[in-house]
Amino acid sequence: MRALVVGAGAVGARAARQLVSIDAVSHVGVCDTDDRRAAAVVESLGSDAAFVTGDVTAASLEGVDTVVLAQPGDHRRVAELAIERGADVVSTSDAMSTVKRLLDLDAEATERGRTVVVGGGFSPGLTCVLARHAAEGFDEVDEVHVAKVGTGGPSCARQHHRALSDLAVDWRDGAWARRAGGSGRELVWFPDPVRGVDCYRAGLPDALLLVPAFPDARRITARLGANRRDRLTSWLPMLRPPHPEGGPGAVRVEVRGTQGAAREVRVLGAVDRPAVGAGAVAAVAAWWAVEGRFVRPGAAGLAVLLPDTVPFLAELSRRGVRAAVFEGVSG
Amino acid sequence: MIRTLRRAALALGLASAIAGVLRLRGTGGTPPQGGGWRELSGPDLR
Repeated sequence: MRALVVGAGAVGARAARQLVSIDAVSHVGVCDTDDRRAAAVVESLGSDAAFVTGDVTAASLEGVDTVVLAQPGDHRRVAELAIERGADVVSTSDAMSTVKRLLDLDAEATERGRTVVVGGGFSPGLTCVLARHAAEGFDEVDEVHVAKVGTGGPSCARQHHRALSDLAVDWRDGAWARRAGGSGRELVWFPDPVRGVDCYRAGLPDALLLVPAFPDARRITARLGANRRDRLTSWLPMLRPPHPEGGPGAVRVEVRGTQGAAREVRVLGAVDRPAVGAGAVAAVAAWWAVEGRFVRPGAAGLAVLLPDTVPFLAELSRRGVRAAVFEGVSG
Repeated sequence: MIRTLRRAALALGLASAIAGVLRLRGTGGTPPQGGGWRELSGPDLR
């Protein structure tokens, strides 16, 4: 299996490293708009990796089975090119516009028998897997609430900044509800050591990816951890350059529903550096796609594509990305 | 002059009250009352 990673930043480098460690992967190509950065990543990966120069073209996709998109900006053009050339695609983007444009590829990808994993990172990505896992055994799922805190590399930090001033899109009673980003403060309790963080509505694509998996749910929401300075300055350009990589981040997914006559609440979460978690999720999703382990081809999130969440979570756990369950009374 | 100062004081008071309301708004906020996080492992992932 031959893989191509587009983008050699914090997430792309981690995805490439994870792909190299998968036995079924014989070759990993890495490309970036900054050739020196891509070459440095390849050099650190050993002989199974190769540097692919410049922009992604039909020629650079020759013989490639799977493409991981981890570059900033829109992913649609490369995703289209990849499925035309017979490759599966995993996008790590958490930008609402990119996610929408990739989901629009569903018919084309299905027709070509290719998979486009949309939101194949830490959040969305791991959050979609956790939501599906938490909902196992429920007769009905009423509500899914996702929260995340932390950023990966500079592009992720810029997206976090933009998201706080974008309109949030939540699912409420069978319709999309648009609310101002930065509103709806809620103190969310993530796994240790992150613990309590104020989270707000933001332009996050999680609900877009979760509604097809839980069409009967009444409410699906997503919130983003931020401090007061983030909120205050979200409508301004970033006042200082983002850091090369953020510290530990976390995700938390709360699923409410019924099991028999009882109402149940299940809360799952995970703590990791967001770029590390995203790289692992993207690499395993790319591997699963090529091996045909998803329920169908087409463009969708992991909550729709995974037939069973347990093997996927077990593989992530082997790679150091460990989910946790909250047991007790959550207030 | 005094009128301007009064208006400024009133504006500051109003701004503080609004900021206070905004700060206090929001749901949740109750820390977990019992229990804790347990890593999924072994039997959970079989």
